[in-house]
Amino acid sequence: MSTREKARKPALTRIRHSPAGVALLFLAPGLLFLLVLRVAPAISAVASSLFHYSLLHDTTSFVGLDNYRTLFADSDFHHAVLVTLVFNVVINPVQIAISLALAVLLNQKLAGVRFWRALVFLPIAVPPAVSAVIWDVAFQPNGLINAFLRVIGVPAQPFLTSSDQALWSIMILCSWIGVGYWMMFLISGLQDVPASLQEAAQLDGANGWQRFWRVTFPMLRRPLAFVLVADTVSNFLVFAPVQILTNGGPENATNLVMFDIYRRAFTLGNMNLAQAEVVLLMLVTLVVVAVQFRLLRSKE
Amino acid sequence: MAAESTPRTRRRIGRRTLGTVVAAVIGIAFAFPLLWVLTSSLRPGNDIFSYLSPLSIGSFLPIDPDGSSYVALVHSDFGRAIINSVVVSAITVVFGLLFSAMAAFGLSAVKFRGQGILFGVVVLSFLIPFDAISIPLADLFRTVHLQNTYLGLILPGIGNGLAIFLMRQFFLAVPGEIVEAARVDGLGWWGVFTRIYLPLSKPILVGAGMTLFLFQWQAYMWPLLIGTEPSKQLAPIALANMRGQFTVDFGQVFAGSLVLTVIPLVLILIFQRHYTQSLASTGSKD
Repeated sequence: MSTREKARKPALTRIRHSPAGVALLFLAPGLLFLLVLRVAPAISAVASSLFHYSLLHDTTSFVGLDNYRTLFADSDFHHAVLVTLVFNVVINPVQIAISLALAVLLNQKLAGVRFWRALVFLPIAVPPAVSAVIWDVAFQPNGLINAFLRVIGVPAQPFLTSSDQALWSIMILCSWIGVGYWMMFLISGLQDVPASLQEAAQLDGANGWQRFWRVTFPMLRRPLAFVLVADTVSNFLVFAPVQILTNGGPENATNLVMFDIYRRAFTLGNMNLAQAEVVLLMLVTLVVVAVQFRLLRSKE
Repeated sequence: MAAESTPRTRRRIGRRTLGTVVAAVIGIAFAFPLLWVLTSSLRPGNDIFSYLSPLSIGSFLPIDPDGSSYVALVHSDFGRAIINSVVVSAITVVFGLLFSAMAAFGLSAVKFRGQGILFGVVVLSFLIPFDAISIPLADLFRTVHLQNTYLGLILPGIGNGLAIFLMRQFFLAVPGEIVEAARVDGLGWWGVFTRIYLPLSKPILVGAGMTLFLFQWQAYMWPLLIGTEPSKQLAPIALANMRGQFTVDFGQVFAGSLVLTVIPLVLILIFQRHYTQSLASTGSKD
């Protein structure tokens, strides 16, 4: 046996027998996928946002933060941010309030409650593109919703074709998908609240309303914080309904940030500017998540 | 005493009945659009609109159903797109589960220095929202010519930090003594993984499998960016294109919507318990 072979063999055995070596062998494929498919594109977006590609000269040059300056001076970008903020300021509290109310209702011992809960949960199976298509037909001038409105004597509404109503229409369809999903997290949170606490409060003479706000609600802090953040992040990323239903219109009324990025990259063909917007969106979502961690840590 | 408690009991029963009625109305309201989709998918062409004015019971119940839209779908681009979606999702689940379970095993079965950092990479990777990085990732994929390939459609679904995270939580509960005993008996680490961890972890394998499947089945932005060629289109893209055509066959649009919904729905119903459990554990632990 040559000295080289002798040296190599223990090295290999050492990897196979040391805990770290074993773990790394198991971790390698999964970790590689995450690094290449999640972390690398995030870094590449940052890098690409610092360059400018000139179609005229077919050259790419380093421009520092110019793309960000351009974005911040761009009125379309301002408008997209505004639309996204309005969308989120309205939809997040509304979805969470509805999810919480539904969770409380459907966590009670009612006849057939598991079935009613499953019906509310049903839309989670519907892919976003499909719900966009379904609601598109429902929102048509001669569609389902106007048929209902006619029955109760309300004139036909324009919905997606009106710059005043399009964003609200998209909120309705997003809530139809989301509310049942978030409700499930809150129901499992409610089930973690010890029944003994409720009973103790009842013995102390607290009524149902007081018991909910003083006993149950504080115990729901963790699932509520999680739902608030996860819901906010997902609502910052709404894309399929906008792309399928309105293309950001009418008059940019539904130009949410995710669609604005897509539009910049492919319709306007300014990839570097789009990447800068991707970076900003990533930063915002990371800040939202960081706030959640702070909220959950601070009181423990 | 008895006379006093009767009205209270009656009131409680009354409140419970009211609760049931409200729950039923809300449940039906949420399911209603899907019932309408089912009914409309059984009406050929654009007949649905004539059933909507005026509104009647026939608007929502499939009286004299007609399955021709489904037959037409099979022979359209959508038929091929559904097959594409099934293939892409199935391969994603198989490889995604394998690699995620292995990674979770590496993060939980043994302890070593630097484990925390690697776990941090996993957490970071699912905090980066995938749709946001789709555009830079698609750019990278185009430079290596992965656009309009099955590989290009499948790969992003396989790297799923959430699946790793969920399985790690579960694996941490496997008692160390079993592993010690098996190691003493001469079982290798791969044996510990496949003969001890995997058989113990069926619930979480189902939960993580659903997470991987739904990610891929519901994807819209990624296949829109990377699978534009008709032969590589996934079903949600084909559906959106069908609706965007100059003359829309709404019967077929609804039939396609129903097919795209029923497949995940059946899986969720079969695995409901495992799936909602794994959801719940995302919410309560972090």
